[in-house]
Amino acid sequence: MAAVKRLKRVAAAQPGFMSFKSSAGSDDLNSGQRKRVNKNKKKNWNKHSDIQDVEEFLDDVRLQERATGGLISEKPDDSLFFVDIGEQRKYVQPEVQEGKKGKKSKSRPLRIDLILQHDSLVPPPKDILAHQQPNAKKLRRIAENAEKLAAMGVLPRRQKRLLNRRPAVTASKSKTAANNFPDRPYYDLWGGDAKETADPYYLEQTGKKRVKRPEKLNSKPSVLPAVEVIAPGGSYNPDFFSHQALLLEAHEVEVKRERAELRIERQLAVNREDTATEETVFQELVEGLVEEEEDEDEEEEDVSIRGGLQQEKKTEKERRRERADKIKSQQKQAARVFTDKKQQLFQLRSIQATLKRGEQQTRERVAQRKANQEAEKSMPRRLGRLRFQAQDLEVQLSDEIPGSLRTLKPEGSVLKDRFKSMQKRNMIEPRERAKFKRRHKVKYVEKRAFREIT
Amino acid sequence: MGGLQKKKYERGSATNYITRNKARKKLQLSLADFRRLCILKGIYPHEPKHKKKVNKGSTAPRTFYLFKDIRFLLHEPIVRKFREYKVFVRKLRKAYGKAEWTGVERLRDNKPGYKLDHIIKERYPTFIDALRDIDDALSMCFLFSTFARTGKCHVQTITLCRRLTVEWMNYVVTSRSLRKVFLSIKGIYYQAEVLGQLITWLVPYQFAHDHPTDVDYRVMATFTEMYTTLFGFINFRLYQTLNLVYPPKLDSKAESELKAEHEEDYAMDSESYLEKLSALSASLARVVATAEEEENQLDLFPTEGEDQENMQAREKEQKEQEAQKRLFEGLKFFLNREVPRESLAFILRCFGAEVSWDKSLCIGGTYEVTDETITHQIVDRPDMDKQYINRYYIQPQWVFDSVNAQMRLPVEDYFLGTTLPPHLSPFVEEKDGDYVPPEKLKLMALQRGEKPVQEEEDEEEEDEEEEEEDDEEEDDVDDEELTEEKNLKKMEGTRAQGKTLAVKVTPGKVKPWETGSVGNKVRLEQEEKAEEKRLAIMMMKKKEKYLYDKIMFGKKRTTREVNKLTAKRKAHEDASKSQKKQKKAKKQ
Repeated sequence: MAAVKRLKRVAAAQPGFMSFKSSAGSDDLNSGQRKRVNKNKKKNWNKHSDIQDVEEFLDDVRLQERATGGLISEKPDDSLFFVDIGEQRKYVQPEVQEGKKGKKSKSRPLRIDLILQHDSLVPPPKDILAHQQPNAKKLRRIAENAEKLAAMGVLPRRQKRLLNRRPAVTASKSKTAANNFPDRPYYDLWGGDAKETADPYYLEQTGKKRVKRPEKLNSKPSVLPAVEVIAPGGSYNPDFFSHQALLLEAHEVEVKRERAELRIERQLAVNREDTATEETVFQELVEGLVEEEEDEDEEEEDVSIRGGLQQEKKTEKERRRERADKIKSQQKQAARVFTDKKQQLFQLRSIQATLKRGEQQTRERVAQRKANQEAEKSMPRRLGRLRFQAQDLEVQLSDEIPGSLRTLKPEGSVLKDRFKSMQKRNMIEPRERAKFKRRHKVKYVEKRAFREIT
Repeated sequence: MGGLQKKKYERGSATNYITRNKARKKLQLSLADFRRLCILKGIYPHEPKHKKKVNKGSTAPRTFYLFKDIRFLLHEPIVRKFREYKVFVRKLRKAYGKAEWTGVERLRDNKPGYKLDHIIKERYPTFIDALRDIDDALSMCFLFSTFARTGKCHVQTITLCRRLTVEWMNYVVTSRSLRKVFLSIKGIYYQAEVLGQLITWLVPYQFAHDHPTDVDYRVMATFTEMYTTLFGFINFRLYQTLNLVYPPKLDSKAESELKAEHEEDYAMDSESYLEKLSALSASLARVVATAEEEENQLDLFPTEGEDQENMQAREKEQKEQEAQKRLFEGLKFFLNREVPRESLAFILRCFGAEVSWDKSLCIGGTYEVTDETITHQIVDRPDMDKQYINRYYIQPQWVFDSVNAQMRLPVEDYFLGTTLPPHLSPFVEEKDGDYVPPEKLKLMALQRGEKPVQEEEDEEEEDEEEEEEDDEEEDDVDDEELTEEKNLKKMEGTRAQGKTLAVKVTPGKVKPWETGSVGNKVRLEQEEKAEEKRLAIMMMKKKEKYLYDKIMFGKKRTTREVNKLTAKRKAHEDASKSQKKQKKAKKQ
């Protein structure tokens, strides 16, 4: 053991020694502190002496011997390096001689290889086919023929068949590109109508014919134009008066809105008289405790009335008189009606006038109703839960008007304008953004760690 | 006696309508899909006349559809596609959940899609129908094409919208069909006349977006989906009518000119062609190379009397239009970097001008600032350091106002650094008797071919003249009964003042009574006429008289209002002038 160690030391100390594993040595040498052990016992020597580096060195030596047949450091330079003079020859002799130098067992070829080796003295026959082609003449003729046919435009059968083959189903079912594909092609949609040749009844029954669109659907739901041009006051550099007119309009809208707000506020205000005062509170407390004498009086009165209602029987004389009165009044009534009718003859003019007035009124009402109907055509309808609300007027105040186009700060959003215009034209119903509604209540739990602190 | 008892709500309007939820269930679609289907097919909710009857006695506000419409929807093949898509999403979610990646891929490859071509054809049976309804599509596509590609909607949609709008602008440029432009605080309104249809659209300013939260983007995207399809087909057809190649290609000559050196730096290969098209500086390739479109002339038929007059009017109109189309022809513009390039290039090209801009501003500029042949440079800054002598430096509003006035306005009002005249809306048409702002009056005078007021004269004089002009206008407006007396008074007044006052004489407004005996004759004639009129009024029936009085009253009222407004305006101007003077005095 000691001898080996020395050998290693010597070898490692040599300046020319090269190890195979480059990183192995340096790592171990610097590793940590050495353990302090008693060295007076032999057992401890074996136990605590660090022989890893020695073993690694020996491993390396062994590996070098195995791989290269000796230590690399002892080898001559010629055996390690060679001058690169380009491509080597193709045929390299089996390395039999090299083995002689090293250990015998390594270099000797296996017996089985020896058995299989060609050991006849007769050289193998030359490969004729390496330079010749069987049926060359025939093949050449065929190729020439094919060329001639190709020049004439005749396709070989194989190719023809390939061409004639139906395209695969997957290819024919071309994918429909998305509608927003930027390079999508367009064609003449309204070009010559292809007349359908098939039997219309057949098409109808098999669902291949489109159902005709009702004419009524092509009418627009509102008469408003698609693009409403802003008032002249909305110019970026407006005329003074048109700008004032627009401002006034915006102002009126604002005033109306404010008034509505005020009204709500007024309705919500608390009435002074409804608040409890000391007096009312006391009254409430005392309620029912103080007896009132009025009630009794009322009861008495009631009784007296009831007593008064009791009637005596009518006498025969009274009845007769009543009957006579009745007849008399009836006659009087009839006479009155008769004279009225007679008088109406003289009232003809005024009657005619009233009739005329009535007719005039109806006519006016009809006209009004028609006008209202006309106006309604351009009004937003009530199409859902919400009413249409016009967007705020775009207005620039007098001091916001820019001097030039460069300094213009655009007002409002065109997107919103378009959206509202569609609502106004009854194309979509006014909606509000769906509110987020929590299904279950959120449970609030304090974390334990947090609870400990507080 | 007898017979079955009639049940309520089983006939009449109750059966003609269907609530939205019921319709949705009938079609077996989710609410979002149902909404999309209705938008695509052009089926809108309907407000019934008697809600209570339709709603089975309840008055709860609901959305109703006509039952027949929903029955019509049942036949739509797209409904099946929607259902397929629903299943696709379900399968995909499942595959994801199970982490079956091959399955996910396979499903993705077979994603169901649908086409809207048949719906467009069904909704717009003829091309003109489609063209009439293009306003919405245009505004929407222009709007979407200005969106940032940030995921508010599909990037592909934005790109497609951009492509379609560029195609449209190129068409309008080539056909020279732009009529009116209005710069508003909201955006730019354009009006074009395409195949006899007036088409108005709104283009937002660039970089002006804040995304409002109360707009349903899904609904808007669905509308856009339909409109892009419609718009594309219309574009194709329009290009066909002009013999242009579709999709648009640049002229081969122009293409070689536009070959810039640092093209790759500007845009990717796939985008640079669209960018070049959108630059609008080059003309488009035609299917059949023709020199220029031949002048289309009205067919002449031998006509008599009124027809002939109409004919002449029409001819005159057409001549005017032709002149308008060539408004900027022969001019060479250069756009500074601070002006809105796209709208200006679009408008200028629409009227035949040549346009260019700085190389760093956009692709497709054809000449440099240093080009000596440039006639106008459009500038929107207080002043410029280096100015060329042989070109006008004008503010962008000149272009817009000139287009609306249908003539090249004098450039003096629009020079660099001057306060601009107001930009009037071309969409307002005044009836006679309405108040007309003085700027517009001036413009109308210019259009009639009258010389603008001399510049050398003092401001004061100018004002006086303007007032007089206004007075004259008022006179036109006044009642005919009053005119005579007024005229007489005025005549006396002018006589008293003498003829020293510089009265501007407008053609057709000769005051004949100032010229001796001939004048007397004319005056007599006028008096006679007035007398006749008075008699006619006296002879009127009661009913007619009532109507006449009413009309006259209305006229008087409008004139009163107009007078009030003009007075106001005058007061305002005086006030502003005095302020100016004060300022001047202070400065001095």
